[in-house]
Amino acid sequence: MDFIRNFPLFTIILSLFSSVLCMLLDGRWAKRYTVCYECLLIALSGAVLWYVSATGEPFTYVMGEFPAPWGNEIRAGVLEALLAVVFLTVLLCSVLGGWRFLLIDVEHSKINLYFTLINLLTAALMALIWTNDIFTGYVFLEILTLSSCGILIVREIGRTTLAAVRYMVLNLLGSGLFLLGVILLYSLTGHLLMVPMRAAILEIVAAEGGVTTITFSLAVLTIGLGIKSGLFPFHFWMPDTYGTATPTSAAILSALASKAYILLLFKIYWRVVGIEVFQQLPIHYLLFGLGILGMIFGSVSAIRENNIHRMVAFSSAAQTGYIYMGLGMGSPLGYVAALFQLIAHAVTKSLLFLTTPRLARVSGDSLLFQNLQGSGFRDRSAGIFFTLCALSMVGIPVFAGFSAKLFFAVAAVESGELGVLFPTMLALAVSAVLNALYFIRTVIRIYTAGRGGSEISAPRIYAEEHNDADSAEPLPELETRSERRSYWVSALILTGMNLFLGLFSWVAVDFIRRGLDMFA
Amino acid sequence: MLLFTILFPILAGVAASVRPMPRRTRLQCYAAVMLLTDAFAVWCMLYAPPVRLFALTETLDFHFALDAIGCVFLSVVLLVYTAACFYAFEYMSGQEREEAFFTFYFASLGAVMSACMAGNLVTFYFCFELATLSSMPLVLHEGTKEAISAALKYLFYSIGGALLGLLAVVCLFWYGADANQFAAGGFLDAGRAAGHESLLRAVVFFGIVGFGAKAGMYPLHGWLPAAHPIAPAPASALLSGVIAKMGVLGVIRLVYFSAGAALVRGTWVQYTWMCLAMGTIFMGSMMAFREKVMKKRLAYSSISQISYIMLGLSLLNAGGLTGGLLHFAAHAVSKGTLFLCAGVFIHKLGRREASRLRGVGQLMPVTMWCFLIASLSLVGIPPLGGFASKWYLSVSAVANGMGVFSILPPVILLVSAFLTAGYLLPVAVDAFFPGRGFSVKQEFGDCPDVQKRLPASTGKTKKQKAVSLNGAAEPSAFMTVPLVALCAAALCVGLCGSWFAEALGGVIRGLV
Repeated sequence: MDFIRNFPLFTIILSLFSSVLCMLLDGRWAKRYTVCYECLLIALSGAVLWYVSATGEPFTYVMGEFPAPWGNEIRAGVLEALLAVVFLTVLLCSVLGGWRFLLIDVEHSKINLYFTLINLLTAALMALIWTNDIFTGYVFLEILTLSSCGILIVREIGRTTLAAVRYMVLNLLGSGLFLLGVILLYSLTGHLLMVPMRAAILEIVAAEGGVTTITFSLAVLTIGLGIKSGLFPFHFWMPDTYGTATPTSAAILSALASKAYILLLFKIYWRVVGIEVFQQLPIHYLLFGLGILGMIFGSVSAIRENNIHRMVAFSSAAQTGYIYMGLGMGSPLGYVAALFQLIAHAVTKSLLFLTTPRLARVSGDSLLFQNLQGSGFRDRSAGIFFTLCALSMVGIPVFAGFSAKLFFAVAAVESGELGVLFPTMLALAVSAVLNALYFIRTVIRIYTAGRGGSEISAPRIYAEEHNDADSAEPLPELETRSERRSYWVSALILTGMNLFLGLFSWVAVDFIRRGLDMFA
Repeated sequence: MLLFTILFPILAGVAASVRPMPRRTRLQCYAAVMLLTDAFAVWCMLYAPPVRLFALTETLDFHFALDAIGCVFLSVVLLVYTAACFYAFEYMSGQEREEAFFTFYFASLGAVMSACMAGNLVTFYFCFELATLSSMPLVLHEGTKEAISAALKYLFYSIGGALLGLLAVVCLFWYGADANQFAAGGFLDAGRAAGHESLLRAVVFFGIVGFGAKAGMYPLHGWLPAAHPIAPAPASALLSGVIAKMGVLGVIRLVYFSAGAALVRGTWVQYTWMCLAMGTIFMGSMMAFREKVMKKRLAYSSISQISYIMLGLSLLNAGGLTGGLLHFAAHAVSKGTLFLCAGVFIHKLGRREASRLRGVGQLMPVTMWCFLIASLSLVGIPPLGGFASKWYLSVSAVANGMGVFSILPPVILLVSAFLTAGYLLPVAVDAFFPGRGFSVKQEFGDCPDVQKRLPASTGKTKKQKAVSLNGAAEPSAFMTVPLVALCAAALCVGLCGSWFAEALGGVIRGLV
C-alpha cells in the first residue's frame, strides 16, 4: 500500500492539470468534470487518511529523491489528511449548492473559466495543506490569492469589481508581509524546508542570540496572514468581499481560502518555530487579545447590518476570532479547539452562504431584512437550513458550534491561568449572546409574514425592477429539478457533517489530537 | 421508555398540528396527546431504567435517568401543563395560528420533561437550552413588535445565563471524579480540587447567577416582566409556573448534586446568594405593588416568589431545601391559577388592568373564587400551600444560626407577604364588593356575554323584570375545571404540608 504515499502529490498536480483541461471544456461539462474530479480527490485524501491512521505515523514524501536541504518535501499526517477531506467535501458542496446562482451570476461563456479557477484554487489548497516547505507555501499562497480574486470578480457587477480590487490590494499587502517574514527567517536559519529551519531556530533560541529577530519576523508573518484571514483589525474587507460574490465563491472564500491561511500560520508556529518556543514568545498574547476583540466587534458590526449577506460575512470575522483565541490560549487543548472550530466553521458558514441567496431569491433578489420577511415560508428548505445553521452559530447543543465553544471553555480551564480563564469565559458568553442577537433575530424575521407575504414572486418583482431599466433583460428561468436536487444534496451533506461534529465531536477531536501528535 | 416519553409529545404534537382536520377532532387529538403523555410519565416515575443515548467523550455520555428530585419536578410540571392544556382549548378558540401554539406547547412539554429526567450536567444543560428554544415561540405567539422584542430578550438572558452556567459545568468536570452522573453531595474529586476551592466557589457562584437568570433572580431578571405577560395566558402560566423553575432545578443540580453543599456553606458565595435572593424578593414585590396591568403584576410577583425558592436553597440545610421545594409546588399551582384567571378576564371581558376588574365577582364567581384562593395561598394564609412553605423557610432560616442572616429572611418574608397581600387581595375584594352605587350593567355593558342576558328592547318598558347577571360571563368548563383543579392542588399542598415535607425529607437525604 505504499503507493498511497504518492497521493498527496497527485492531488496537487492533477488539480493543476484539471484546471488547464477545464479551459478547453464547455461550461456544463467543466462542472460535471469538476464534480467527478473532486470526488476522486476526496477518495485520494481519504485513502491517505486511512493510511496514516493505520500506520500511526506521518510520512514525508521527498520530491525527486533530493535529500533534505535541497529538495522539496510533502508531509502527510492525520491532521493534514483530515483537513484535506473536509476542505474538499466543503468545496464540492459549495460547487453543487451554488450551481443555480452560478448560471445566473456568471456569463455562460465564462463558466468553464470559473471552473479553471476552482481547480487552481483546489491545487493551492492542497499544496498549503501538504507542503513542508515554507517557500512552496508562499508560492501557493499567491496562487490561492489570485484564484480567489478570480472567482470573486467573475460576477461582473460594479460592486464586485470594486470589492475584488480591494481584496486583491489587501491580500497582496498580506503576501508581501508574509514574504518579508519568510526572508527574515531564511536569513536567520539559512533554510526554507521546515524541519531544518526548526533545528536552526532551536539553536538560536538556545544561544539566546536572535530571539528578537525571530519574534519580529513571526509578528510580520502573523500580521500578513492575519490580514488575509480577517484577524480583528483587518476584518473590514470581509463584508464587501463575501457579500457581493456569487454564493459558491463566497462559501469557498470564507470557509476554505481564509482558513487555509490560518492553517499555514498554524503550520509555521508548530513546525518552523516549534510550539515550545512559540509559547515563550509574546505573540500568542497578541493573538489571544485580538481574537477576543474580533469575536466581540465582528458580532457588533453584524448586529448593525441590515443586509443578510453582509451580516453573515461579519459573523465570519467573529468566528475567525474564535480560532485565533484558541491559538493564543497557550494550552494544548486550545489548539485542538481552534482546529475543531476551523472545521466546524467551514461546514456551517459555507451552507449559510449557499442558503441566504435562496432566501433573497424568493424576496425579489433583495438581501435587505425588510424584504426577507416571510421568506422562510416561501422557500421552506432554505428557511430550515438557515435556521439549523443559525442555531449552530449561536452554539445550541447538538450542533458543531456548541461543541467548539465547549472545547474552548475546557481548554481555558485546562490552561489553569485565571488571566486566560476569565476573559475566555466572558468572551464566549458575550459572543454567544451577540450571535443569538443577530442570528435568531434573522430567523424570526424570515418566519414573520411581512410586506407582500407569500404573494411575492421573485420573477414578478425582478421583472418590475428591471423592465424600466433594461427591457431586454430576460426573466430568470425558474429553478430546474436538477438544480434543486444538487442544492439539497450539498445542504444535507453539510448539515450531516455539522450534526456529526456536534454529536460525535470526540471522534473529530480524537483525530485532531492524533494529528497534532504527529504534526510537529 | 424515558426517551419515548420525552419524544412522544414533541412528535405527536407536530403530527396532530400538521394533518388537516376539523378543529374539534384536532382538539381531541391534543387532549389525547396530553393525557397519554401524563400516563407515560407516571409510568416512568414508577419504573424506568436509565437510557444511554451516545457518548460525548470517553468519560461523558448523554443519558437520561429519573431520580427523586426529578420526580418531584416532573409531577408538578405535568399538573400545570395538563391544566393549561385544557384551558387553552377555550382560550385559543378563534385565535390565529392555534396549531403553531399547540405544536410548541407540546415541544416545550417534551423539553421540560427531558430537563427533569436529565442524568448528568451536560444532558441537563442541553435540555435546558432546548426548553428555552421551544418555549420562545410561545412568547412570540402574538407576533407584535413588543412580543418579538420580549422573546429576544428572553432568549438572550436565558442563553447568556446558561453560558455562565456552562462555565461552572466545565470547571466542575475538570475537577470532578466521575462527572458522568449526579451524585448526592457532589462529585468533586477531593484530591484534584484541593487548592482550587476559591476558583470552584467563584464558578459555582457564576453558575448560580446564570441559572438564576431563568428563575428571574437579580441581576439577570430583566427579561421576566417583559416575556411572561406578553404570551397567551396558558403559556404565561407555564412560563411562570414551571419553565422558569427549570432555573431552580439547574441550581439544585449544580450546587447539591455536582459541587456539593459543603463547598459553598459558610462562604461568601452563600451570603451573596442569600442577599441576592432576599433583594429579589423585596424588589419583585415592590414592583408588583406599583404595577397596574394584571399580568405584568403577576410577572413581578413571580420574580419575588421564585426567589423564595432560591432563598430556601441558599440556606443549605434540610429545612430550607424542603421549604424551597414546597414553595416550588405551591407557587407553580397558585401562580398558574392566577395567570389563568387573568387570561379569563382578557378572554371574556377584554380587560387587562387590575383596576377595571371591579365587580367581576358577580359575573364570574367561580373564576374569582379561584383567584381569591390562589392569592391567599401566595400571601401565605393557612391552610393554603404558601403557608406551609414559608413556615419551613422561616424556621430553618432561624435555626441556621448565622447571626444577622438567620434573622433577616423571616423579616423579609413577612414584609413581602404584606406587599403580596397589598397587590393581590384588593383586586379580589373589589371584585366581590364593588361598593355602593356600582352598576355591573353599566360597567360591563359592552361585554357580549352580558349583553346576551340583557333584554333586547329598550325604551318604554320601564319596569321590566330584574335581570340576574350572576355568573353571566362565567367561562365554559374547559376553563373553570382546570382552575378549580389547580386551586384544589394549592389547598392540598397546604393541608398535607407536613406529609409532603416528610416525603421530601426522604428525597433530599444525603444532599445537605
